[in-house]
Amino acid sequence: MTRVAAAIVFTCLVAFPLGVLFAPPVTWLAAAALVVGGTGVIVLSMPLVTAGASLALIAYTLALVVAQAPVDLLAAVFLGTTLLLTLALVHFASRVQGAVVAVPVVVSQLRQWLIVAAVGVVAAVVFSAGGAAVAGALRGAAIPVVVLAAALGALLTVAGVISLLTSRASD
Amino acid sequence: MSWRPTALNVSFLTLVGWALFLGVVTGRADVVVVAIPLLAALIAGRRASAAVALQIDHRLSAERVFENERVSVTISVRANGRAPLVELLEPLPPGVELERGSNHAFFSLQPDEEVRWEFTLRCRGRQRVRIAGPHVRWWGPLGLAAAEARHRASRAVAVYPHVASLRHLPRPIRTQPFVGNYVSPAQGEGIEPGDIRPFAPGDQVRHVNWRATLRLGTLHVTQHHRERNADVVLLLDALTAIGPEGETVLDRAARAAASIATAYLARKDRVGLIEYGGHFRWVRPASGRAQLQRVLDTLLDATVVFTYVTRDVDLIPSRILPPQSLVVALSPLLDRRFVRAARDLAARGFDLVIVAVSPIAAARAIAPRGAVADVAARLWALERRAQLDELRRDGLMIVDWDGVGSLDVPFAALHRPRTRRLAAR
Repeated sequence: MTRVAAAIVFTCLVAFPLGVLFAPPVTWLAAAALVVGGTGVIVLSMPLVTAGASLALIAYTLALVVAQAPVDLLAAVFLGTTLLLTLALVHFASRVQGAVVAVPVVVSQLRQWLIVAAVGVVAAVVFSAGGAAVAGALRGAAIPVVVLAAALGALLTVAGVISLLTSRASD
Repeated sequence: MSWRPTALNVSFLTLVGWALFLGVVTGRADVVVVAIPLLAALIAGRRASAAVALQIDHRLSAERVFENERVSVTISVRANGRAPLVELLEPLPPGVELERGSNHAFFSLQPDEEVRWEFTLRCRGRQRVRIAGPHVRWWGPLGLAAAEARHRASRAVAVYPHVASLRHLPRPIRTQPFVGNYVSPAQGEGIEPGDIRPFAPGDQVRHVNWRATLRLGTLHVTQHHRERNADVVLLLDALTAIGPEGETVLDRAARAAASIATAYLARKDRVGLIEYGGHFRWVRPASGRAQLQRVLDTLLDATVVFTYVTRDVDLIPSRILPPQSLVVALSPLLDRRFVRAARDLAARGFDLVIVAVSPIAAARAIAPRGAVADVAARLWALERRAQLDELRRDGLMIVDWDGVGSLDVPFAALHRPRTRRLAAR
C-alpha cells in the first residue's frame, strides 16, 4: 500500500517538468527519471529514488530555462513538498516491509508528514518574502557579486544543515 | 542511547544541494525555493529530546518442545511517554523458522498504553534455542533520526529430538528382578503358564491343574513364568556427524535413541544412555518419566568433540552398563573406534544390537550432484553392505536403517532368540 502511494507521488513528481514543457530533451530526462525512480520505488531503494528525484529536478530546471517560464513560487513549493513526500514514503515503505504495522502507526506517520509539509510551505513563503527584501538591497550590484553571494549562501546553508545533523544529541 | 541521523538525511541533502546548485547556476529563485521544504524537514527531523523509556515483557509459550513443534513468543510493550514510532525486531536464531505472524513490528504508543504482539516459531533440529530479546529502535519525525537499544531478556527453549512411536523393539534376552512386561525363564508368580509338576505343600489351590490331576490321578499344579523388566542401554556414537545441519547422522541417531528410549520406558524397562564420543557422557539406567527427561536432555547436548584419544568401554562402570543389559548401539559405523568397542562388548557377552544409521543419504545431501557422485554413492553403499555382512558373520546383530523412515520396519524384521528358548539351551 505504501509502495503504491509512493509510486503515485513519484509519478506526480515526474509530471512537474512535463507540465512546464512537454518537449525533448525534457521528456527524455523525465523518462529517465521515471525509469530510475520507478525502479527505486519497486525495489524500495533509497539511492535509486534519490537519483530519480534528482533527474526530475534537473528536468524541471531545464524545462524552466528552455521555456523561459515566469517565476512560479507556488509550483516550486509544491515540487519541494512532493520531493519530500516521495523520499519519506519510500523510506517508510522500506522500513516496514514484512513487518507488522499497527493502524495508529500509519495515522501517526500521515500526521507527521502533513505537519512537516505544512512547515515546509510556511518556510518557503517566509523565505520568498525574505528573498524579495534582500533583492532590493542587491539591486544595482554587479552580476558576479550576486552570483558569488548566492553560491556562498547555498554553500553555507548546506554546511550548516550538515553540521546541525551530525551533532549528536544524547540523553 | 543517542539519536543518530539516518540515511534519509543523505537523500534530502542531495536534493537540497541539487536545488541550490541549479538555482544559482540558472539564476532562478523558484528552483531555490524547491529546497526550502526539504531544509525545513531536515531541521524539524533533528531530535534532541530523550527517547521514551519502554517496559518490555517477553514470554514464550513453552520451554521444552520436540523438533518441528511450535513456540509462541508474546511481547508486551508499555511506554512511559508518547512514542510516535517504535520498531521492534526479534532476531531469529539459526534452526528456527517463522511459522505465523512477523518477528518485526512497528507501534505508535501513547503514555501508559500497552500493546501486545505475538508470533509463532517452528523449531527445526535438536538444539537449545536462545531467544535473546527484541532490538528496539525509536524513530524520529519522518525517519530522519533513530535511536537504538537492545532489550536483554534471554529465554531458552530446549528442542528435543523427535520421538516416533515404535511397536517393534528388540526383545532383551536377559531380564532383571523387577516387574515388567517380559516373560522371564524363572518360575514364579505370573500369568504366562509354564511347566506342570506334582502338588507340593504350600502350593495354592488356584494353581492346581485339574485336567492333568484327573488324567494322572494325583494333584498337579501349573507353574508360571515371572514377568520381568530389562535393562536397556543406548550406546550413541558421537564420533562422527556428517550431513546438513539438523539432519546429520548424529541427529538421526539421536532421534532413533529418543524413540527407542521412550518405547522401552513405556514398557517399564530401565533405560540408560552412553554417549560414546570425544567425551564419555552417560545416564545411569532407571525407569519412569524423569528418566526419559534425563535421556532427552543428554541427547539434546550430544555433539561431536574431536579427539585422537581412543576410549575403552572398560572404563564404563558396571552400574552404568549392567552385565545383563541389552545394549542398543546407534552408529553410522564410520569410526573404527566405535566398531572396535562394539566388537568388544559382544565379545564380553553383552546382548548387543547395532542400529547402523546409513550416512549415505546425509552425505549426498551436502555433496554436489552429478554422475561421479552417483557412482561414488553406489560404491559406498556396496562397501557398507560388505562391512555390515562382515560384522554379521562375526556374530553381531545389525539393524540397517536408512535414517529417514520408521525404525519399526527394520526392527520388525529382526530375528531375536526367544528368552525361554535361550534359557532352555
